[in-house]
Amino acid sequence: MNSKNVRNFCIIAHIDHGKSTLADRLMEKTGQVSKREMEDQLLDSMDIERERGITIKLTPVRMFYTAKDGQEYELNLIDTPGHVDFTYEVSRSLAACEGAILIVDASQGVEAQTLANVYLALENNLEILPVINKIDLPSARPDEVKAEIEEVIGLDASYAPLVSAKEGIGIEDVLEAVIKYFPSPEGNTKAPLRALIFDSYYDNYKGVILFVRIKEGRVKSGDKIKTFRSDKIYEVVETGVFSPNLLPKDELSAGDVGYIAASIKSILDVAVGDTVTLADNPAPEPLAGYKKVQSVVFCGIYPLDGSRFNDLKEAILKLQLNDASLIFEPDNSVALGFGFRCGFLGLLHMEIIQERIEREFGLEIITTAPSVSYKVVKTDGETLFVDNPSHLPPQSEIEHMEEPIVKADIYSPPDYLGQIMDLCREKRGTFLQMTYLDKSRVRLEYDLPLNEIIFDFFDSIKSRTRGYASFDYELKGYERSKLVKLDILLNGEPCDALSMIVHEDSAYTRGRTLCENLKEAIPRQLFEVPVQAAIGGKIIARETVKAVRKDVLAKCYGGDITRKKKLLEKQKEGKKRMRSIGSVEVPSEVFMQILKTNKD
Amino acid sequence: MAGIYVHIPFCKSKCRYCDFASFSDKLCYAESYMACVYREMAKRKEELKNYSFNTLYIGGGTPSVIDESYIAMLVAAAKKNFNLSADAEITIEMNPGTVSARKIGVYKKCGINRFSVGLQTAVNSQLADLGRVHTLNEFVTCAKLLKGENFSADVMIGLKNQTAEDVEKTIETAAAFGASHISMYALTPEDGTPVYTDYLNGELPDGDEVAALYEMGVKRLKELGFDRYEVSNFAKKGKESRHNLNYWRRGEYIGFGVSASSCINDVRFTNTFDLDEYFKCILSDNFAVIDRQEIDKEGQEEEYIMLALRTERGIDTADYKSKFNADFAKKYSSQIKRLERFLSVDEKSVKIKPEHLFVQNSIIIEFFN
Repeated sequence: MNSKNVRNFCIIAHIDHGKSTLADRLMEKTGQVSKREMEDQLLDSMDIERERGITIKLTPVRMFYTAKDGQEYELNLIDTPGHVDFTYEVSRSLAACEGAILIVDASQGVEAQTLANVYLALENNLEILPVINKIDLPSARPDEVKAEIEEVIGLDASYAPLVSAKEGIGIEDVLEAVIKYFPSPEGNTKAPLRALIFDSYYDNYKGVILFVRIKEGRVKSGDKIKTFRSDKIYEVVETGVFSPNLLPKDELSAGDVGYIAASIKSILDVAVGDTVTLADNPAPEPLAGYKKVQSVVFCGIYPLDGSRFNDLKEAILKLQLNDASLIFEPDNSVALGFGFRCGFLGLLHMEIIQERIEREFGLEIITTAPSVSYKVVKTDGETLFVDNPSHLPPQSEIEHMEEPIVKADIYSPPDYLGQIMDLCREKRGTFLQMTYLDKSRVRLEYDLPLNEIIFDFFDSIKSRTRGYASFDYELKGYERSKLVKLDILLNGEPCDALSMIVHEDSAYTRGRTLCENLKEAIPRQLFEVPVQAAIGGKIIARETVKAVRKDVLAKCYGGDITRKKKLLEKQKEGKKRMRSIGSVEVPSEVFMQILKTNKD
Repeated sequence: MAGIYVHIPFCKSKCRYCDFASFSDKLCYAESYMACVYREMAKRKEELKNYSFNTLYIGGGTPSVIDESYIAMLVAAAKKNFNLSADAEITIEMNPGTVSARKIGVYKKCGINRFSVGLQTAVNSQLADLGRVHTLNEFVTCAKLLKGENFSADVMIGLKNQTAEDVEKTIETAAAFGASHISMYALTPEDGTPVYTDYLNGELPDGDEVAALYEMGVKRLKELGFDRYEVSNFAKKGKESRHNLNYWRRGEYIGFGVSASSCINDVRFTNTFDLDEYFKCILSDNFAVIDRQEIDKEGQEEEYIMLALRTERGIDTADYKSKFNADFAKKYSSQIKRLERFLSVDEKSVKIKPEHLFVQNSIIIEFFN
């Protein structure tokens, strides 16, 4: 097909504004899938995505559409995640496109991530097409929302299609607008191959599958390819497009979005953001890759069964291939043995990765409490970054510490201003400014310490505003802060995996809450277990897990013996799901207890 | 030495905690049922001809609810088919609400020499709560009829609204009226029984409260001359239940009747729990076994440890060696080391210290593979 008739675009939106549903409708309308095959949220293929109703991974699909001008067009759509944690996924898909559909909910209007995604799209020089969705809702106010888009974002919304993806209204208008407003891809098909890797995953039969946007040149099976990052040469065994399943196609050329399989076995040889070129006719320069991912939250991941370290390593390597924003390095803990210190884009991202390791690789894991990366300036002038509390130098060697600060944007109806401001104050926030977008919506800007928001800020803000407020943030920099290391002792023994870095002012409260939570989470043992919180050797809180007093099968006679033995075997199984920290048996969930800061 | 168990699955009404095979509306089948039991015994005669038995235990249900003549015939059938030693311990379970002087007379005459009476509690309101058909007075009448006999009383702890005084009163009543043996069990709310609902509603005492009742009970029993020989069983000197000790020493036993279990030659098997099915099997000249499991060496050893650690005397290391051809203290040295605060170890035995017997599960499972 002539590249004039190709459109590469993505859909961006605040979470829940209806991206995946609109993608479903576009596919249905273009006959990509028949109504009969139609499952809701077709592109959300991971179990976790369907269960949680969110998109985590970007998913590409190719569609054909005969427009009102009588011509047939090839439309490559990349569905993207909406949650703030997955901005990196969004930015990668943007780099593969020329245009972005911006969905705005007709009743909720512009939200925090609407704006964040628009900025990303603008950075990538994309054409943006606003679409007003959910116009079927009684509370829809499309005209006001259009005005809001023009005022807040500065986009011309006069031509924005009015749509209800759920009801199938206005879908054709969207397709026509895509063709009319988005540019067709440019790129010299005669130039040496340059293909941007925007995603990849590991297939047991074909090896690593690269998702690429061909910017220049062409590629077909039999070609020898290499990447700029490694010198290894691979022979292409298959090229193809997304329909949305992999559909082989003889050749990909400039402007195409598709995949390349080249029997790449080593996960370490390819990286998302790298450029693929031909081995015998290489391009002189790689394409501009992506910004290096910046991890925001860190935690330790350990196999529940220490002997499965290598399986965990394999799992993390494979996941990284599919999720370039996951970073990791080997680590070991006195309490938990060998494992990995992993970096994530946020708490949801962390949860998703944990869940994927457990589900997709059948591994049981222990994760330690999340931490952010602190800057430590030592008395000898050395500066280091510490994201693992147990790697903190001794207090005497620390001159001062700095913590990461974010600039947070909160959008809310004015009714909840008080609650939001209270919350930000509790979280050590600094008020920057407040803007009324219209009568019913306010934008609040705050500086907040990152370690205060990674835990439960998002949930708190949702619960305090009955779900009406939205929130987004970006890292701003480091600020000096009074931070201390809070240690936890179980039965008198320090447990490194439970240590955390906290602000001095909240150390006592955190220590107390933590001891209380641990007391609830650690099952009673044969002996009494003191749970203590300490700062630099000084005990600041203590709780006691009382010794168990009754743990017996009352009767056991002839007919019971088999059944009673099974009960004991079950108890033994349960015990295997625990880790011994010194003499104390601790269930794996305990390490996440640190997360619960209070009981609201 | 081995034991014989016979299950009588009839009762006047179902207790609220009961999850045994026991039917309150099928007493009319007692005659046919007993005929089947005699027949089942005859069918096992050949295969067990080289076994000597020294205990017979008639349990239920409520064995005392059926006509005493069936019981007399049952004992006779056991003696006729098997080598039951002359001094065998022959026990019958009784509900105090279903006995009479005549019944006890017949029992004694046919050779029954041990009686197990379900007292459960001396508090009438708690008896009613449990759905028991008798009152404290009826227990007293029953105990008087058993005067001078070797009898045991069952006592339950962990009942709704039960206080330490209630438990004490129950123990004292049993002792005062001549029990030579007391079984003191914690009520176990089994899924599917009405008591389970009480449990879900939080109406039953929690583990700590039950443990306190137990400790108090153990102390009071000791003062009254009852020594604990198993976690839930207490006896005056020489009055331990031989039949039950055989279970805890992992001895062999054969069971007859609905739901009865057996362990012969390291094979465990269990009869059907369904009365009709039992009739059908026996009347068509088959056994009524629904579940049969050969216990491998490792399983035998785990059972042995699990059962022996329930008893006051613990694991007899010489007996262990003769059965498993290994030195217990050596084989389990790491477990013994780890659990040293909870075990008492000498050349002859390894046992759980008396004060930890009520938290034995987590100790026992350390010895499992």
